[in-house]
Amino acid sequence: MRAELRKLTTVRSTWLLLALAQVVVIAGVSGLMLRRDDPASDAAQRGAIAHVGLVALFGLLAGIVAMAGEYRHRTITDTFLARPRRSQTVLSKAVVAGMAGAVFGISASATALVADAVWLAAKGSSIDLANAVLWKTVAGGVGWNVAFAVVGVGVGALIPNLSAAVASALAWLALVEGIVGELIGGGARWLPFALGQALVGLPNSADRPAVWQAGSVLTLYAALFVAAGVAVTTRRDIT
Amino acid sequence: MTDVVLHGLTKRFGAVPAVRNLTCTMSPGVTGFLGPNGAGKTTTLRMLLGLVRPTAGTATVGGRRYAELPQPRRVVGALLDATGFHPGRTARQHLLISADQSGLPTARVAVALQQVGLEKDADRRVRGYSLGMRQRLGLATALLGDPEVLVLDEPGNGLDPAGLAWLRGLLRDLGADGRTVIVSSHVLAEVQQIADRVVILGEGTLRHDGPLAGLPGLEAEFLRLTGGVA
Repeated sequence: MRAELRKLTTVRSTWLLLALAQVVVIAGVSGLMLRRDDPASDAAQRGAIAHVGLVALFGLLAGIVAMAGEYRHRTITDTFLARPRRSQTVLSKAVVAGMAGAVFGISASATALVADAVWLAAKGSSIDLANAVLWKTVAGGVGWNVAFAVVGVGVGALIPNLSAAVASALAWLALVEGIVGELIGGGARWLPFALGQALVGLPNSADRPAVWQAGSVLTLYAALFVAAGVAVTTRRDIT
Repeated sequence: MTDVVLHGLTKRFGAVPAVRNLTCTMSPGVTGFLGPNGAGKTTTLRMLLGLVRPTAGTATVGGRRYAELPQPRRVVGALLDATGFHPGRTARQHLLISADQSGLPTARVAVALQQVGLEKDADRRVRGYSLGMRQRLGLATALLGDPEVLVLDEPGNGLDPAGLAWLRGLLRDLGADGRTVIVSSHVLAEVQQIADRVVILGEGTLRHDGPLAGLPGLEAEFLRLTGGVA
C-alpha cells in the first residue's frame, strides 16, 4: 500500500490533475455566480458547490492512470514480480485511489467554498456556513470523487491500454451514458454519472434517486469494476 | 544452493507454440540461456517468473513455483527488459517503490545503487538515462533482494565496453558465490567468458543442455543445433 501511495505521488500527472481540478472548480463556481441573481439561495449554493462532483472526472483519470499506466510504462512486470498475488495489487490500488479521490474531493470542496464566499462577498452577501445544503453537497461531492477514483482502477485493469482506457472513460461520460440513457429510459438515473449527480442533489426533480440509494448503487458499481479488474488481471499473461 | 527446474514446460499463444515440453535443471553457477530470436527464451523466463501462465508443465525455484514463494524477491531477482521504468521517476524512487512492494528494507536501495555504480545519477529522472544506465538500474532492481537466483534477459544490452567488462566480473562473482545465475544473450563471445553451462533452445524445444567445456566451439555448435547457417 505504501508502494502504491509512492507510485501515485511520484508522477507529475497526479499533481497536474489535482491542480486542474481546482481550476475547473473555480471556473465553474464563478460562472454560476456571475449568472445568478439570487446567489445566496439554496439552489444557487447547491449548484455552485456541486462542481466538486465534476472533479470526480479527474479522480477517475487518476485511478485509470494508476492501473493502466503500469502497463503503459511496463512497470507492471516489476510490480507482479514483487507481488505474484496480483489481486493484492489491484485491491491496494483501489484503496489508494479511493483515498486520492477523497483528497481530490476535499481539496475541491475547500476551493469551491472559498470561491463561493468570495463571490458572495463581491455581491454584497455572505456565505452561510451553517446552511446544511452546503455540507450535504460537499459530502455528496466527496463521495462521488471516491467512487469514481475506485471505478478508474477497475477500468484501468479491464482496459490495460492507457489511451484506450482514458478514451473509453471520457466517451462514456460525454456521449455513451446519454445514448444508453435514451435507450433505457427510466433506468438512466441509475447510470454512474447520473448517480454522481444525485449524490450532490442534482437534477432538481422528484424521480432522482435518494442520496443513500445513489451512494449504494455507486458503491456497487465500484465493487463490480474492481472485482472484474481482479478477475481479468489474475489471468492475463504479462509478455 | 537453489536449483531452477523446468519440467515439461509448454506454452501456446493461441495456436502458436512458443515453448514445447521443456525439461532441464539449472544449478548454481552461471548458465548461458541461448537460442535464436523466437526460440522461446523470453517466454520460458517469464513462465519461470510467474508472469506468463504455462499451458502445461511446471517451472520451480528450490522446489516451489514463483507465485508460491513467500518472499519472491529474496529468492529470485530478475531483469527482463530495461524499459520497465516510469520516465518521470528517479532511479532512487523506482528502487524505493520496488523495495516497498517487495517487503525489503529501504536500506537495500543504497546498497543496490552502489553495486551497479549508479549512486551519482540516482536522483535524476530516468527519462534522461542512456540505455546502459537503464540496464544498470534494471540490474539494481534484480539485486535488491540479494537473491540466490538471478534471471537476466540480455543484461549486456546497451552497455559500453567498460560496462560489459564490469558486468562480466559481476556475473562471474555472483556465480562463484554459489548463486544460480541464468543469463540469456545473443552475444556468444560474452557467454563463453562467463558461463559454466549452456542451455540452447531452438523453435521452443531443448537442443542442448550441458557444460560449456564440453562444446568444441560455441558458435559453430549453436548454429548447428539451431539450424542457422555458419
